[in-house]
Amino acid sequence: MAERISVQHNCDHYNAERYPHLNKRKFGNQEVDAVIVGLGAAGGVLLYELAQAGLDVVGIEAGPFWDPQADFASDELHAQSLAWNDTRLSTGNDALEFGANNSGRGVGGGTVHFTGVFYRFHESDFRVRTLDGAGEDWPIDYADLAPYYSKIEQEIKVSGPKEFPWGAFHGPYPYPERSPISGNAEIFRRGCAELGIRSTVAPLAIPSAPFDGRPPCINRGFCNQGCMPNAKFSTLIHHVPKAIAQGAEVLTDCMVTRILVDKQGRVTGVEFNHDGKYYEQKAQVVIVAAFAVETPRLLLNSACSQFPDGLANSSGLVGKYLMTHSGHDVYARFDQEIRLYKGTPVLAVSQDFYETDLSRGFVRGYSLHAHGSRPLGMAVKAATNAGIWGQKLREIMLHWNYYARITLVGEVLPDIQNCVTLSEEKDEYGLPRAQVHFSYGANDQKLIAHGIDKCKEILAAAGGRDPFVVPDSAHLMGGCRMGKDPQNSVVNEFCRSHDIPNLYICDASVFVTSGAANPTETVMALAARTAGRIIREGKK
Amino acid sequence: MMRSESLYPDYDVLALQDEWDAHTRQIVGKRLGPFQFKLLTPEQQDLIKAVARQLAYEHREEVLTWIAAHVDEQLLSPLGEAQRRPGVPPQKELILSGIEALNSWAKEKFFKGFQSIRQEQQLEFLQLLEVGGLPQDHGWTVEKQKELFKKLTGLVISAHYSHPWVWSDIGYGGPAYPRGYVRVELGLTDPWEPKQVPGS
Repeated sequence: MAERISVQHNCDHYNAERYPHLNKRKFGNQEVDAVIVGLGAAGGVLLYELAQAGLDVVGIEAGPFWDPQADFASDELHAQSLAWNDTRLSTGNDALEFGANNSGRGVGGGTVHFTGVFYRFHESDFRVRTLDGAGEDWPIDYADLAPYYSKIEQEIKVSGPKEFPWGAFHGPYPYPERSPISGNAEIFRRGCAELGIRSTVAPLAIPSAPFDGRPPCINRGFCNQGCMPNAKFSTLIHHVPKAIAQGAEVLTDCMVTRILVDKQGRVTGVEFNHDGKYYEQKAQVVIVAAFAVETPRLLLNSACSQFPDGLANSSGLVGKYLMTHSGHDVYARFDQEIRLYKGTPVLAVSQDFYETDLSRGFVRGYSLHAHGSRPLGMAVKAATNAGIWGQKLREIMLHWNYYARITLVGEVLPDIQNCVTLSEEKDEYGLPRAQVHFSYGANDQKLIAHGIDKCKEILAAAGGRDPFVVPDSAHLMGGCRMGKDPQNSVVNEFCRSHDIPNLYICDASVFVTSGAANPTETVMALAARTAGRIIREGKK
Repeated sequence: MMRSESLYPDYDVLALQDEWDAHTRQIVGKRLGPFQFKLLTPEQQDLIKAVARQLAYEHREEVLTWIAAHVDEQLLSPLGEAQRRPGVPPQKELILSGIEALNSWAKEKFFKGFQSIRQEQQLEFLQLLEVGGLPQDHGWTVEKQKELFKKLTGLVISAHYSHPWVWSDIGYGGPAYPRGYVRVELGLTDPWEPKQVPGS
């Protein structure tokens, strides 16, 4: 809706045309080959791949087409207003926070605010049921995604270490690792070395050298607030403009309100709202890529006489098995200045605790990140999540340049009770708001406790003292999981819904397990694989 | 807060603002006032400031006024509030009725409004609110009290650590765009960054 944002944006983008209205749409009432709902990590890749293959494709995004120079700022408070802030009802023992915590809005979606940490999942992540007797196996193996991981890494020139010691991929990455690393990352690596824990410089979607007309990082540190120099990759600055150059149309500030279905039970396109008016885009294939809350919400809100329980929901699993990563922050004070505000936030990592080790008393594991911070991010979470406020917070913040921080990215096992459903409350379009329920399970809690202890050990080994912990979470996954059995999953291994042959769901909602790694690279690899399948199907 | 508490008493982040991009400079500059309140009455503004004084441990009137102005703006924002507990009223209603309730509880116990009771008494009220320990009258369940504390704290601390005077206090380099940071390694600083005064 226009009043949501202070900057006026164009809403229709194709070829060399940009319009602030929808009166000159490229495809208008025509049926296109594919329409994509949501232009984040997955939607951006899908749009580019399909356009490159010569398909007529339209991407529809609820938020604006951001202009980094005009819309972003080097300011945490301002950045909060750029997130997906639409109210969701949040319940459970560990009720999730949304907005800037995990939900992007506008072209680029989460890639606008992610830290750029770019991991492949490990082989074991796809076989958790078989190996650990927990969760579920994916219908694909690591080997199925490996070529797409390589393709995406090459395409955006991921910068990383020559040798990456964990998982199935050991490097080298297309571009060399970032150098120098921040004080906080040095402290982390020093602590790890003391304890015999392996660490490396982080693999990042932030090129270490100029690439594609973009400059390298200037260590300003505002990855989570939107990169102004365009050093950090996002689909906003990479895939979407390239897709437009290949013939795609992008409609922005357009909220998809319903997926349309014909009498035969096939989808025919989508209905969307722009500035209070409703429009349609007809398409042979509909791809929903609206992230782990909005994707199930749209499918459930599109219920019709043919599908009274929502689309693609014969299994009853749309919205179920929602996961996050436990993302607890551990701080400790040092005798020298660390200056958490300087440099790319995550510049050093360890995955030494990623795989199951039953001697620890739980299955699966976690990644550890040296994680920089700006003042608001540190102070607000300390106050609201750790009960540190008033004089105590003030005292810590007066010495904040002396603090180092390590953040956990902990695997969370899928649980059918953790889910997205529709609430009684309606939004501005008259659609039921999402209600999200989340509680950690016993395994998750043990994993978190272990991870926190490990962070404290590393900080202490580097000379830190007086540690404190701020509970937090990061990333959302699941809600429309993939699988072989239509009764036990929502989409197949190519992200096609089991119930409706021309409806695809392709974003983090299809994750079967969460892994213990930041999910963006896996989301993008899945999108590239799905795009390939759609293109091959189209050629038949 | 006195500047003398800062490890960087001579540092003023605003002196660097000519190096910032225009958009950031404009956004940060507005936090210095003047402010136009569109929703909160002067009494409500004072209540927010009294609460913020405790939550942020901040005593400068200018900074407290900015915090109240931020709350005023947020309560009128057309954006959503990201998440809310079912059964808890929307943010605007929660905060407005919440500060009123704090005032009433103070009057019941001490025969004075929240702003007029002693600092230790204000602090105690907020510590009870944090755990849902205030009287559960007029629908103020434990959960609703905790949510009020969390939303208020989020708004207040977000504003506090966005004020450039506070950035100066804590020795934060600030926006630093377009110039960025050249010396990021442990122990190194760019020439313009805050430096600790020896012996402070």
